[in-house]
Amino acid sequence: MEGRGVSFKSDVWVDWCPGCGNYGILTAVFKAFAELKLDPSKTVIVSGIGCSGKLPHFVNVNGVHTLHGRAIPFATGIKLANPELTVVVHGGDGDLLGIGAGHFVALGRRNLDIVVILHNNGVYGLTKGQASPTLPLDAKTKALPKPNIQQAVNPIMLAVASGYTFVARSYAFEGEHLKNVIVDAVKHRGAAFVDILQPCVTFNDIFTSEYYRKRVYRLDKDPDWDPVVRKPEERISKMLKAIEKSAEWGERIPIGVFYVDSTVSTYEERLSSRLKVYPKVNPASSVIASEDLRPVVDDVKFKKIFSDLIVRVSKRV
Amino acid sequence: MGFSELSLILGGPQGSGLETSMLVLSRALAYRGYGVVADREYYSNIVGRHSYIHMSISSKRTPRSLTYPVKLLVSMDAETVFTHFKDIESGGVLFYDKDVRAKKVTEIPSIEESLRSRIARDLKALGAGEDLESVLGVLRGRGVTTIGMSFQEILRDLMKTFGIDPRSLSRYVSGIITSSAALLLGLDREALKYGFERVFAARAKLVEQNVYVADSVWRELKSYEGLLRLDYPETEFSEVLVATGNDVVAIAKIVAGLRYQSYYPITPAADESFFLEKYEVSEVDGTIVGPIVVIQTEDEIAAINSAIGASLAGVRSSTATSGPGFDLMVEGISWAGMNEAPVVITYYQRGGPSTGLPTRGSQSDLLSSAFAAHGEFAKVVLSSGDHLDAFYDTVLAFNIAEKYQLPVIHLLDKFLANSTATIPLPDLGRVRIERGLKPVPPGTYKRFNLEALISPRAPLGTPGVIMWYTGDEHDEFGHISEEPENRVRMYSKRIEKLKLVDEEVPGDLKLRVYGDEGGDFCLIGWGSVKGVALDAVDEIAKRGFRGIYVDVKMLWPFPRRELLEVLRRSGFGNVVAVEHSYGVNIADLAAMAAGVQIRKRIAKFTGRPITLSELTQALEKTLTSDVDRVVISYGG
Repeated sequence: MEGRGVSFKSDVWVDWCPGCGNYGILTAVFKAFAELKLDPSKTVIVSGIGCSGKLPHFVNVNGVHTLHGRAIPFATGIKLANPELTVVVHGGDGDLLGIGAGHFVALGRRNLDIVVILHNNGVYGLTKGQASPTLPLDAKTKALPKPNIQQAVNPIMLAVASGYTFVARSYAFEGEHLKNVIVDAVKHRGAAFVDILQPCVTFNDIFTSEYYRKRVYRLDKDPDWDPVVRKPEERISKMLKAIEKSAEWGERIPIGVFYVDSTVSTYEERLSSRLKVYPKVNPASSVIASEDLRPVVDDVKFKKIFSDLIVRVSKRV
Repeated sequence: MGFSELSLILGGPQGSGLETSMLVLSRALAYRGYGVVADREYYSNIVGRHSYIHMSISSKRTPRSLTYPVKLLVSMDAETVFTHFKDIESGGVLFYDKDVRAKKVTEIPSIEESLRSRIARDLKALGAGEDLESVLGVLRGRGVTTIGMSFQEILRDLMKTFGIDPRSLSRYVSGIITSSAALLLGLDREALKYGFERVFAARAKLVEQNVYVADSVWRELKSYEGLLRLDYPETEFSEVLVATGNDVVAIAKIVAGLRYQSYYPITPAADESFFLEKYEVSEVDGTIVGPIVVIQTEDEIAAINSAIGASLAGVRSSTATSGPGFDLMVEGISWAGMNEAPVVITYYQRGGPSTGLPTRGSQSDLLSSAFAAHGEFAKVVLSSGDHLDAFYDTVLAFNIAEKYQLPVIHLLDKFLANSTATIPLPDLGRVRIERGLKPVPPGTYKRFNLEALISPRAPLGTPGVIMWYTGDEHDEFGHISEEPENRVRMYSKRIEKLKLVDEEVPGDLKLRVYGDEGGDFCLIGWGSVKGVALDAVDEIAKRGFRGIYVDVKMLWPFPRRELLEVLRRSGFGNVVAVEHSYGVNIADLAAMAAGVQIRKRIAKFTGRPITLSELTQALEKTLTSDVDRVVISYGG
């Protein structure tokens, strides 16, 4: 890892299990951020709980390690308050698609300019390997006493259906590919989602690196694969193609970009049509008080702004 | 000789324009210099169930409480008369629709069964029949003037004159009752027209039609004009705000510099966010006020956590909710405490547990907000006694949150949220925006610097500065640390900040004493009982009991010293607590935090507000007997 993108590496010791897919993800984050020349003070990584939740501590940009399932709401508040920030969410499959599934869907509806990176390992690692929302029905990993009796959710399908306008998948140990997908996701304007297949060496003995190495193939090798919506009329057919492609799982697992749609307005644009001054004047950049601590709204402005609620008394003579 | 104070009820089915009547009437009264406070009581229902406005009017000041019996009942339908006929004082007035005189209480499906049989039983006991005509007879026997008018006739005439679609005629019933109330109170038609114009604003046709309705009412009821004439106003207002508690808090948030408000729809909090959305950005004299990002989130969990996110980016942020929503927010509050993130939670209590009485008021969440969230950390809970207090306290909530870097819960309730009052314009010269922002020291930034209880706070996005936050125990940089020595220092820091709040916030903002000390009793309460408590203290003085009211404004950290001082001065005798709850839990909080035993308690938990008449009676009972606990329950 050393020598590659070292400027984004913090001095916190990385305490993931040796061989964990997260190392691949972390390296790709360093490289992508370096390639994007992100300003660390204008970049925020927001994470939830679990192994993936620790990632911000390992990166030399602002880090907000939040609650289980709630990284997206925190990120939403940060991004709306200061639209100049680059905000990237990292979460596990239990975090984003189990306890936080409602927020995952809501971000798609908003199409806010945030990147969501899913560390998809099929298990709850830090609590010793319970089945997660992406573990298939009947799967029995070594930590499970009995086979899984809940069905898996398809992250790509859910992201497309929810309204994410950039939807991709990569694999933790496909370094260059993953880095490129993250770069594209950050560059995309609107809600971007990256599903990263991530082996858990300790608890998931089904979806191992060996399993994935044999199966993953790159969508961009197929010259006919075109995931980009260029005009609104193409939206439904491209969505359906992405959904169909996302159902491919087993002997061959596609990685790459499934869906890109820049014809949908971002939440920032929707807000700016309402607030006019936004995002140029935004919550973080606007003034609320004078030097001597007086509010911007003084007695004169108060009467003008709230004239609808003010009654001027006119007693009868 | 008229009335200097008068209370009335306007009643009718939900969705029939009753609120419009309240808005018009309160503006017309304010225009002529009267003080008004009006509570809105309604079911969790969109159309059809009984709702009413309980209003107090004064020619001397803004009234502080509601009371029974009322001088005037203005009804849109028979159900209103059946529900409230016992509330009219003898010598009072009932205005009703002649067309429904034959209606029987047993024929009205919207009345809840238990209430219907109670009314039927009451009527039987009075020897009256079950129809409205019989109730009118009972009232006349009690000296109530009953004034009937055919609503149909007025509406039919209106329909012909303006060519109105018969299906939308019912929206003018509101104009009939507003006009008749105005006429009886001796308001002039110009004032009434002013009320219509303010409420209907640009909809000139509606103003014209309602003025036409008023003219018809005036023609019809000429002989009753000024039957309940109000005294010439002695108030000194030249301008007043006519606003609900929701409005006032929203206005204060705008003044305080709010920049992010998140919410999930819930009664009785949602109107505050609607108001903020309406005023999210204004440009006045070349200055931009705002913008406020108002976001309707997918749930209350996202509401609190996104507000905390916005706070980390350095903006004043808040969310508004009620009990069920607050319960969902609690884990986020714990994160805010752990990460010393300023955030304001405006909490409008309603009747619980669970969905409880979703449109009715309560103060039963005192302990649940003071002790919400796992782990130990500094958190502040503030309350407000009335509209004007709520304005200043909202600003205070943000100042405390930012200065001490902690979550602040502003604990209000449905009574305040939904009642409209005429209030003086707040004095903005008194308002200060204290953010507690200190320059970030040079060198590597430590967000949780241990050199002082309050660490320098830099927003995310500060050029050249990076920082980390985590819900895990952390070191000064915000990185995870489970090392015991650091744990002790960090854990203590987050708790001990509360001492600063306790020491630095002026006593007057924590606890306020009303009345002359050294009397016979001390009534203690918090939040919206203030107005009725003050009036009850005045009222009972006429019966020979002199006492004070202690308004506990800061509920946590509990103003222990301040309360003990007051009680020491007043001799600890006859302390009575009052609250809209079963437990009157302020007494238990005082026992826990200040070691004070308060045995005498007055409780109300019907979801309806405590009224002057019942509080005065209950207070007298606690002062003159061995009875420690009085439960009151008046009001339909």
